Amino acid sequence: MLSEKKVKPVAPIAATVVGIVLVCLLWVLVGAKPNPSDNADSPLLGQPAPAVVTTTLEDKPFDLSRRKGSWVVFNFFNSTCVPCRIEHPELLTFAQNQLSTDNPAELYTVINDDDDTAVLAFFAENKGDWQKIRDNDGAIAVGFGVAKVPETWIIDPNGYVRLRIAGQLSEGLLDEQMSILKVQFGS
Amino acid sequence: MSTSNKLNNKYSWIFMAAIASALLLFGGLRDSGPRSQQDRIDAITSQLACPTCQGESVYVSRASAAEAIRAEVARQVGSGLRTDDETIAYIEQRFGSKVLLLPRSTGIDSLVWALPIAALICGAAALGVVFRKWRTADDGDPSADDSALVDAAMASDS
Repeated sequence: MLSEKKVKPVAPIAATVVGIVLVCLLWVLVGAKPNPSDNADSPLLGQPAPAVVTTTLEDKPFDLSRRKGSWVVFNFFNSTCVPCRIEHPELLTFAQNQLSTDNPAELYTVINDDDDTAVLAFFAENKGDWQKIRDNDGAIAVGFGVAKVPETWIIDPNGYVRLRIAGQLSEGLLDEQMSILKVQFGS
Repeated sequence: MSTSNKLNNKYSWIFMAAIASALLLFGGLRDSGPRSQQDRIDAITSQLACPTCQGESVYVSRASAAEAIRAEVARQVGSGLRTDDETIAYIEQRFGSKVLLLPRSTGIDSLVWALPIAALICGAAALGVVFRKWRTADDGDPSADDSALVDAAMASDS
């Protein structure tokens, strides 16, 4: 019988290493928790809000830096966007509720890729007497990193971005978040 | 073929390879002159991912978000206040790093670049070890024990 040379068990070692790596990856995957918050992440949170200089639908100038001292809520909107239309009653309720608070937040609709006539027609039909501001060439949307509407942003009285809600507003969410922020950062 | 012909043939190939390499190097490195604003806008938007599309750059996408980013890039290039890298960083600060088609080579993103290279090096090293082992195992020389066994078998047959 021919003598047998000792062969190192490379395959079992490699398989063990690959197995350990796969188990580690599976562990990370299983341990990962989805973000339970309704709030979306953004690099802008806690940062000074981007400059917003534009005009309202009434052709009046609007400059965000002149709104310091007030909480500002921007709702990015398009009249053809179904979630925007669905969440509209939430905005009406929010605007109404803010009137009874100490420092009512100022709500603005930011018109995203839409024409003035369509927006005016929507608000004439569905109410909402807050200011609507134009976003020419999407500069405001890019400034805030808005890719899809609707999105709602809250800026504190010092001009810092405090909250981003991506997508359709759920019932009472905006009121609830505004109350929390006012307690956290002072009204 | 004579030895001198073989040598001439070899030198011809080396000469041709050197010429081709030099031309490729020249073509790759030559300065094509100052870039226009549109060249810069195209170059920047080619590096940015459309935030609402799958796998499309801002340069090719017709989506509304991509058009807005293109307009912003054009504004910034036109104003001359930011370099190309600063403009890309501005968009990244707004939309996050997912907007970059080419991941950064710093932080956790650098793994995207480092891991394939590490895997390539490890794979090449492993193949080298295995090939060397095969060659050693298959050298064809019997061991002293094997030779003794064969000799014994031959002796018993005769």
